[in-house]
Amino acid sequence: MNAERRIWGQLRDDPAGLAGLVVVGLFLLVAMAVWLGLIGQDWSAADGARWETPGPDHWFGTNILGQDIFERAIYSVRTAFEIGLVVAVSSTLLGALLGALAGWYSHSWVDGAILWLKGVLDSIPFYLFVAAVAFALQGKGWAMHVAMIATFWTTTGRLVRAEVMKLKTREFVLAARTIGLPDALILGRHVLPNTIHILLVQASIAFVAAIKTEVILSFLGLGVQDGVSWGLMLAESTQEVLAGHFSNFLAASLMLFALLMGFNLLADALQDAFDPKQASQ
Amino acid sequence: MKSPVLAVRDLSVFLQDGGQPRAVVDTISFELHEGEILALVGESGCGKTKTAEALMGLVPTAAGSIELCGTNLAALPEARLRRVRGRDISMVFQEPLTALDPVFRTGNQIADVFRRHRGLGRAEARRAALEMLQRVGFADAGHVLRSYPHELSGGMRQRVVIAMAMACRPRVLVADEPTTALDVTTQAQVLARLTEMAGEAGTAILLITHDLGIVAHYCDRAAVMRMGRIVEQAGVDQLFAQPQHPYTAALLGAARGNLLS
Repeated sequence: MNAERRIWGQLRDDPAGLAGLVVVGLFLLVAMAVWLGLIGQDWSAADGARWETPGPDHWFGTNILGQDIFERAIYSVRTAFEIGLVVAVSSTLLGALLGALAGWYSHSWVDGAILWLKGVLDSIPFYLFVAAVAFALQGKGWAMHVAMIATFWTTTGRLVRAEVMKLKTREFVLAARTIGLPDALILGRHVLPNTIHILLVQASIAFVAAIKTEVILSFLGLGVQDGVSWGLMLAESTQEVLAGHFSNFLAASLMLFALLMGFNLLADALQDAFDPKQASQ
Repeated sequence: MKSPVLAVRDLSVFLQDGGQPRAVVDTISFELHEGEILALVGESGCGKTKTAEALMGLVPTAAGSIELCGTNLAALPEARLRRVRGRDISMVFQEPLTALDPVFRTGNQIADVFRRHRGLGRAEARRAALEMLQRVGFADAGHVLRSYPHELSGGMRQRVVIAMAMACRPRVLVADEPTTALDVTTQAQVLARLTEMAGEAGTAILLITHDLGIVAHYCDRAAVMRMGRIVEQAGVDQLFAQPQHPYTAALLGAARGNLLS
């Protein structure tokens, strides 16, 4: 009957989900170790020769400037988690808030204004929007955070709006009104907690999307400004691959692949475990 | 005779029906006295539930007045209405599962009422909720307090809803088919507990039902509703013995037919 135990029990019986959990856990440990300054701190030091092959000094070899590729790939884990978490949490909260307001006051001017904003944001091609934001913010490192949060909330908002419109006619919401609770309290305590399954799934989707988008934007020069990311490494590798040096390319793309694959497996398993329809059977 | 705790006069509720407003509750009037149980009977779709929702201010009233102890609820702004709801007038819903928030422990939902209207702190409200659960007849109230709605049976859930509704000893309780979703034995237990608690607190009940057996057993008076109007209103004994309106007679006839078959 205990919800946490049930979810854990279901996850344990799902080998793919468990594998995802292990992979994401490892990446998370690496990200925290980098954040605490334990590893990956020498990512910018050019202490090797150009294009050294993998060896005991430089595990993954060095890049065109003689920087250690292992250090750079490891530091990029932190970059990925940082943007993934910031964007996933902010865009989900923003979507939940705006979606809940639109749903609760549906067919009023509040709903109209939020839907209009969503329509406008959805109609702008994403990379054009990011480029515009990055240009407007004059190359600030958080320009891509702003651009992603501003556009990623719309799907969450739409789903939450529909769910809230459904929930607000349910008897327990009417019951909350008949015991005299004000709207804000009903929305915050009885309506939004009942959309948690949507929020969790949307946050996990936003996390993956943010990491992918960060890599693409960094590759295009619109993303990470002071730091290193798999996208920047891939951008470097465009010159190296032609010269027959694959270390940078392989390190960045394989680590990106491993993290996204692991996270998708975990998210799928969690989605199954959290599914309220399955839980009631 | 004392003045009624609830006096409804010429109450109308309109619904938009394909652009054309239609009266689903049509100029009905009735009174409810302290400690009295008035049945509102009628077939599905006759406007019983809309009447209940109008009394609670959940749907806008088109015309008429709802005087609770001399205050007209129909003219009260939402903010003032909130202070009355749950304290002076409260409601028990038909479906005990959907009337409780699935993600909250039942204790917190009852405690909410005490914190809202009695201004109790967290711990005090919890104690009050526990006491309320004991009063609706739970032997292991402490366990129910910590349970989620889906862990309780239908009858238990409805008793939790009753505990919520009766928490502040309201003057008027609107019970919208409180036992329709329950089996017959549980029905009797829940209704007995409800009427007993109402009797102690002096709460008047508007009991909405289509079950004439319940009307005969628990109610003092009955109002028969049909197509948004109250067609007949009388003491239960008199209504059963000498129905004045042909519809009432037909309703009683149908119920007897059910008993025979």
